[in-house]
Formats: sequence, C-alpha cells, structure tokens
Amino acid sequence: MAYRKTVASLVAAAALLGTSSASFAATDISWWHAMGGKLGEVVVDISNGYNESQDACKITPVFKGTYEETLTSGIAAFRAGEQPNILQVFDAGAATIIGAKGAVIPVEDLLKDNGLDFNIEDYIAGVRYFYADSDGKMIGMPFNSSAPILYINEDAMKKAGVEAPKTYEEFEAIAPKLKEAGYVPLVQSHLPWEFVENFKSRHNLQFATNNNGYDGAEGTELVFGEPIKNHFKAAKKWLDEGLFGYYGTGWGDNQTPFNEGKVALWIGSSGSFGGIADTVDFPFSATFLPYWEAVEGANKASFIGGAALFAMSGKPAEENKCVASFFEYLTSPEVQYMWHKETGYVPITEAAYELAKKDGHYERTPAAEVGIKQLSLDGGEWTKGYRMGFYVQIRDVMNRELGKVFSGETSVDDAFATIKADGDKLLERFAKTTGN
Amino acid sequence: MKKVQFQSPWLPYLLLLPQLGIVTVFFLWPAAQAIQSSFYLEDPFGFGSTYVGLDNFKDMITSTDYGRVARFTAVFTFFVTVLSLGIALLLAVKADKVLRGASAYKTLLMWVYAVAPPVAGLIGVLLFDQHVGPIVDLFAMFGWKMQIGVNYFDTSFAMIVTAVWKQIPVNFIFFLSGLQGISKSVQEAASIDCRSGFRRFWTVTFPLLAPTGFFLLIINITYAFFDTFGIVDVIVKNEPGNNPVTLVYKVYLDGFRGNDLGGSSAQSVILMAMVFILTIIQFRLIERRVHYT
Amino acid sequence: MKKLQISDHIILLLGVFFMVTPVVLAFLTSTHDAITIYKEGIQFTPGGEFLENYETVLFEAGGFTKEVNGFVMLKNSMILGLGFAVGKIVISMLAAYAIVYFRFPMATLCFWVIFSTLLLPLEVRILPSYEIVQSLGMVNTYSGLIVPLIASATGTFFFRQFFMSVPDELLEAARIDGAGPWKFFKDILVPLSQTMIAAIFIIMFVYGWNQYLWPTLITTDESMFTLVRGIKQILQVWVGAQIPDFNEAMALAILAIVPPVLIVVIFQSWFVKGLVESDK
Repeated sequence: MAYRKTVASLVAAAALLGTSSASFAATDISWWHAMGGKLGEVVVDISNGYNESQDACKITPVFKGTYEETLTSGIAAFRAGEQPNILQVFDAGAATIIGAKGAVIPVEDLLKDNGLDFNIEDYIAGVRYFYADSDGKMIGMPFNSSAPILYINEDAMKKAGVEAPKTYEEFEAIAPKLKEAGYVPLVQSHLPWEFVENFKSRHNLQFATNNNGYDGAEGTELVFGEPIKNHFKAAKKWLDEGLFGYYGTGWGDNQTPFNEGKVALWIGSSGSFGGIADTVDFPFSATFLPYWEAVEGANKASFIGGAALFAMSGKPAEENKCVASFFEYLTSPEVQYMWHKETGYVPITEAAYELAKKDGHYERTPAAEVGIKQLSLDGGEWTKGYRMGFYVQIRDVMNRELGKVFSGETSVDDAFATIKADGDKLLERFAKTTGN
Repeated sequence: MKKVQFQSPWLPYLLLLPQLGIVTVFFLWPAAQAIQSSFYLEDPFGFGSTYVGLDNFKDMITSTDYGRVARFTAVFTFFVTVLSLGIALLLAVKADKVLRGASAYKTLLMWVYAVAPPVAGLIGVLLFDQHVGPIVDLFAMFGWKMQIGVNYFDTSFAMIVTAVWKQIPVNFIFFLSGLQGISKSVQEAASIDCRSGFRRFWTVTFPLLAPTGFFLLIINITYAFFDTFGIVDVIVKNEPGNNPVTLVYKVYLDGFRGNDLGGSSAQSVILMAMVFILTIIQFRLIERRVHYT
Repeated sequence: MKKLQISDHIILLLGVFFMVTPVVLAFLTSTHDAITIYKEGIQFTPGGEFLENYETVLFEAGGFTKEVNGFVMLKNSMILGLGFAVGKIVISMLAAYAIVYFRFPMATLCFWVIFSTLLLPLEVRILPSYEIVQSLGMVNTYSGLIVPLIASATGTFFFRQFFMSVPDELLEAARIDGAGPWKFFKDILVPLSQTMIAAIFIIMFVYGWNQYLWPTLITTDESMFTLVRGIKQILQVWVGAQIPDFNEAMALAILAIVPPVLIVVIFQSWFVKGLVESDK
C-alpha cells in the first residue's frame, strides 16, 4: 500500500513538472496489454517512468483482458486499421502474429532503423529465439518471461524428513513419505505448459516437425514419443496412489491447496513468487522443474512462457520512433530489474540480471533466482521454442485429453493419439489460412 | 392486416427506417458474412485466405470434439427442459391451489427470473467449489465425491442444476397464468366429475395446459442452447479443458479464443439452420394457439 | 382437504427454499471478510463487514482492476438497461405501426426482413457482428453496446400483435374526426398501449441489464464495464494465481441482482403480463 502511495505522489509530482516543461506536443503511442491486477499497476508505473524520462513521446497502456482477449482485440483492431502501436501477445499466440507477414515490424529492424543498438547476445539465452523467426531474427520483444518451477512447502519436507527432489525419480522415492505426513505430494497448475511444452524442453525432445514449426506452417506435425507418454503414465499412477493431485484446468484451483498448506510440492510459474510470498503462512522455497534422469540428455533449459511486445505495422514513422525508444527504455537494466523485483518475471537482459545480483536481490530472496537460472541452463537442439498456429486450440485439446486421462476416461496412449490427430488437423488448417 | 389503413407515399418507410437500418447493418450484413467466411480459411489479420469449399464443415463434423459437444448440448438441453418444466409445473399447480399465501409464494418463486445467467453461474461455482463448496460437502456425506472441473459428469451436473434453477421462474409464470386462465366453471365441472385430484389433473387440466407446454418447450430449448452461455462460461472459468461445453460456447471458443474464423463461422451456420427449424415450429405452434384462443 | 393443503404448502416451501437459498447465501457471504471466506467457503450467518464490503465495491476505485468501481458499473448497467428498453420500444413501435396501419408496396418484404431476425440470436452471428461494430468504430461506446442488441425484432412482433387486436372502429372514428397518421399514433395508439409499454419495458430492461456475451466483447475499456460484465473480471482473478476477493465478488454479484429483481417484484403484474404476452 505504502509503495503505491509513493508511486502515486511521484506520478503527481512528475505530472506537474510535465505541464511546465512540455512546450511542444508529444507523440502519443498506445500499448495494449493483458496484465491485470498487481501486474497492471507495474505496467502503469513503467509507462509513467518512460513518459517522465523524455518529452518527445507519451505512451498510454490499456488493459484489454486475458491474453486471448487482448490478441483478439488487437486482430480486430488491425483489420479495422485502428491497431495500437504495441500489442502484447502471449506464447501460444506467437505463431498467429508472426505468421501474418506484414502485421508487425520485427523489433530488430525497428531498433536498427531508428538508429538504436540491437545485439541479440545482450539478451539472456533462454529468451533470445522464442519470438524470433527461423533465421534467428527477433520479431517480438520478450516482455514478461517466466519459467515453470517447483515450489516447496518446507514444513512438509521437515515433517516427512525428506529433501526436495531434483528429478522425478527422486520424487517417486519420497512421495509416499510426504503422503504419510498428511500432504498431497505433488500438484501442477498448467498441463500443456508444465507437463508437455516444458517437458519437451527440459528433456531436449522434439515437439514438432519442421524444426518445432519454425521452418514454416505447412506440413508441421506434433511429435510425441515414449518419454512423454511414460511421464503421463507415471503421473496417472501417482494420482491413483494419492501421490499426485489434479484439480482441473484452472490455474487457481490447483494453486489453492498449495497456498492452504495441503500440498508439499507445487509446480507453478516463477511469476507466482510474489503472490505466494504474500499469502502463505509456512516457509517455502523453490527449485527447478524436475526431469527424468532416465531420459538421455535431460536437465536442459526450459522455454520461456509469458508474452512479448509486438510493434504493429501501418503506423507513422515518428510513432515507430517512439516505440523504438520505449523498447530501449524497457530493456534498460534498471527498468528490467524493477519489473523482475515487483512481479517475479525474469529479467530479459544479461545486464539486468547482473544488476539484480549486484544489488543482493537473490541473497534476500533466493527463490527469485530459480526462474532465470533455469532459463540459463544448457540449451539443446529443441529448447529454443516452438512455433505452431491455432496453438490456443491445441492447448485446449491437450487439456481436454489429458484431463480425460486423469479422470480415467481414456488411456495415455489413446489421449496422445487424439492430441496428435486433432492437433495436426488444426496445424494443417492453420497452414491454409496464410494461403492466397 | 387491418381493413382500414392509412396511405402515404413516404411515411411508412420513414417509420420503418430505424428498424430496417439496424436490421440491415447489425443483422443481415453479419449473417451474410458468417455464411461467406464459412467457406474460407482466413488469416486472422486478414492478409490471406484460402477458399476451402465445404472443408470447414467437413472438419467440424468429423472432429471427435464437435460430436462430443453436440451430444452434451443435446443431453443438457433435454435435462434442463424436462426438469425445469416439470418442477415449474408442479409448483404452479400447487400455487394455483393454495389459498393462504398464494401471492407470497408467487413472488418468491418468480424473482430469480431477474438474476443474470453469469451471476447464477457465479453463485453455482461457489456452491459447487471443489475445495469449499457446501453442496460438495453435502454430497460427500452420501459418499459422492464431486470434483467440478475435473470430472465431466460432476461438472455437467452442476451446470444443469444451475441452468434449471435459473429457468424455473419463466416456466412457473407461464404455467400459473395458463392455469388461472382455465375458467372456474370448467374446474368446478371437473371436480364434480372426478373426485381424485390426480386424475382430474391428467384428464382435464393437463390437456388444457398442453398448448402452453408446447410453446414453453421451444422457449426452453432456445434457452438451453443460447441463454446459458453465461452459466457455462462462468462454471468452466473460461478454460474449456475436459469440461462439458455447449455448441454456442464452442463458437465463441474457436472464434474468439482461437481466432479460427472459418471454423467458427461454419459452426454458426449450422446453428443458424437449427434455430431456423426451431423457429418454424414455433411459428406454426403460435398459429395454432391463435386459432384456438 | 385440509391435509392436502399441508402437503401443498410443503412442496411450495421446498420450491421457495430451492429458489431463494443460493442468493441468500451469496448475500450472507458478501458480509464477511475475504480471508474467512477463503478458508471456510460460503457463510451461513451474517458477518460484520456488510458496510465495509459494499462501500469498497461501490466507491473504492477498483475492487478488481484498480481502475473502475462498482458505482461506475452500476451506472453503465443502468444506461444499457434503460437505453436498450427505450430504444427497442420506440423503434419497434414505429415499425409495427407502419406494418399494421399502412398499405404500401413492399410491405410484405419489409415484414419478412424484420422478422427474419427472430431466426438468429446474436450469439450465432457474434463474430461478424463484432467485426462490423469494430469497423464502425463503435467498440467501447454506449451505442455499440446497445444498438446491435436492438436488431432483434421481438419488440416489433409484440407490438404488431397488440396493434392487430386494437378495434378497427377506433381508426375509423379518428379519421372521421380528421386525425392524420401522426395524430392517431400520438393521441390514441400510444395512450392505449401504456400498459403494454410498461410491461415490455420491464422485460426489456431486465434483458438488457443481464446481457453478458455482447458487453464482454464490446467493452474492453474498464470505464465502460457493466456489472454483469464485471463478473468476467472476477473470474480472471480466479483463473489467475491471485487470492480471490470472494467478499467483493459476492457483493458485486448482489449489486448486479438487486435492481432488476426490485423492478420485477415491484411491478409484478405488469411484468407477468409483459412476459406472457410478449413471448407469444
């Protein structure tokens, strides 16, 4: 609360200053985002900070609802020629916006054309290529990047006399003890993201043909091998034995029992950190998303989740210049560090990470570093990301079929066969949308 | 039509202009667009599109999910219609019979009409919440461990109960005014003829209520198809997952969540055809009603 | 007879219990603080936070999104309900008047064009409707919210039925007195329709107030949210990882319920008449 008041008074003071110094009209740019609640407040703070830092441009952030709603509003606005300058698009929508050639100005071009530096090596390894095209050119500016990590209820560990697991094999060994101690041993909160996409990444497994979809929409098909099927067979077995809890598709339904102290290990987002710190009344810590030791070449970096900012095309040059200068501001170490500290999302540049380290942020809150460390693990052939159209529906298909596995309506093999069949059909349909 | 009418070269058009304008812009135009885009696969941003003929329809009908959604919609519609009609009829018959407190009962049973479907859904979500819901606790005592959002059957159950709750008032009001419209002399004659109240209901009252019932049937089917959108949306919390959803909700999911314009439009066209048939039946029924009354 | 009555009352009381309890529980829950509700779920007794919760929801900027308060949403709901009801009545009365009382070429065509709208609820043509409203620049405006909802011809159909039942002699008499079409409409038909207008007003107000899907799509700007649209926002908080403010959610739900319920209960006889007559 106190923090908000300070910000408010700062903003008020800045507004007074602004009126006296702004002798010429600033160029207005708009930013549509999907950051509600506390995250939205930080977005407003960043925008105000940018507006105070210079006189030429004025950015206005607009909250547009969920990720899906924001993308849909952006698309509809683009068709009507009223698109915002900046649109926030989430991981599952990346293929849609990047596939529409001409809808956006690649961030790399935008910065260079406006005389600003751009070096992809400045960004931390994990975020470099997720929103890039197949040649490695960065299209969208990563903004809120998170990683799925394992949260640990320390009381539960102590009570059961065990250590938090690094691998699923270790988890299998300690799970019965956690159950005996009166806890649900493990809960996840987003099956497609935590148990499928990042399972692929952590184990360096191919997710789709055509170079995980980066090489083009046509002919892209999902790839599911034995490791992921075995993982779900194990998870179903855990569920039946009371070693794993599943409370539906909704994120909150799965986080609630952890917050209530009924769950020992919970897979959430590195961005969940702040919210948990505020609400739980037991000591907790965090570690990397577990992997299967048995899968060769595992323990690689995870994909970045979250969303990126896209500079929409069809805008006047002076507005694009402002967008470029805002991106420069946004990626400055100070702003990135502030964003990281306030929200739990990872800093996207090496410089910001260094700043956070130097400031002692991770000594105060070690859990805050888990996400970025996991994103900075060794990469492999299949860890840079995936690019698939109609991916929102593909995720819905996964949620549906994997939900059926857990409710006993279908087998793991059948579920993945259906996911592949329905998913491939969607990919095939998406490939046709870009035709002429 | 009236026997006597005004004549004016321009006035009727002027009077019709606002309605026709709105209908053209916000009804005919979008309906035509839906039909057109059901034959294309279109890039959401509008950069390209491919004419695919009937492929959108073929993909839709052959997909396993569409069949499941259609089946659920049918089952959902059946239970919502039967249960809300049945309960409302029972309550209306009783409310028509009692002397004491009749108007109080009437008010208490009808006011839920004004509750918005998503608000009904919200209350339903809390009552059926898998962690804290009292209804879940209640059923747990009888050994039914409900898991809304996980178990397909349990979620369907919660959805149907909420939808029925919301629809009882409309049916109640129609049945009650139908009953009150049956003249007292008919009722008196009936009560002399057959002394058993139950038999009297089936042989005299029920046939007289039948036209109202048929008419309500259509109203209820339309309700279960379209107006339950808010209830479904709130109960599945915007995440379909392995949850039951209705056909209309799927149009929204594919169109607005997934930006699959062609697929969503094809589903719209199928729904249009269904509603068209329902409406024709409705018109015929109304004609019959007008004839008899 | 006496015994029968008791069983009747029991059935009716059960019905009333089934209908009333959920909302009563929602109300009771809305008078507790968020933490109690979070831990214990729905509350069965009144709590001490009634004034506080409702004050927060109504006046403190942003129960959920920090930029809008319940009072603004209440106002928007009111505008939607009233605008929709009034707009629909005016437009459909005029159209029905033309159809019933005038002889003109293409009358049948106009009739069928208008009544074809009964065939397709907004929900099934939602995507193209949204695109059109968007391309007209009407997103996040009251007209974009209200006007497309008026496109359905339910009101016109209702007034047509009613005008047809008005005795022909009235028009004849009026003509003998030298009344023109406008004078007849204003001085005879409108006063005659008063009860009908009141009845349909109530139905339409409730219908407009309770709209969900359309406002969800059309209003993305928080200052345009209606109360029912605000429910969507509550949902997002639940889906997201934050602690739900159950108390404020319930208070908002109660706020969304009260005005239409009051209208239905207070003007009960008009409401029943409107419902039974208009849905034919």
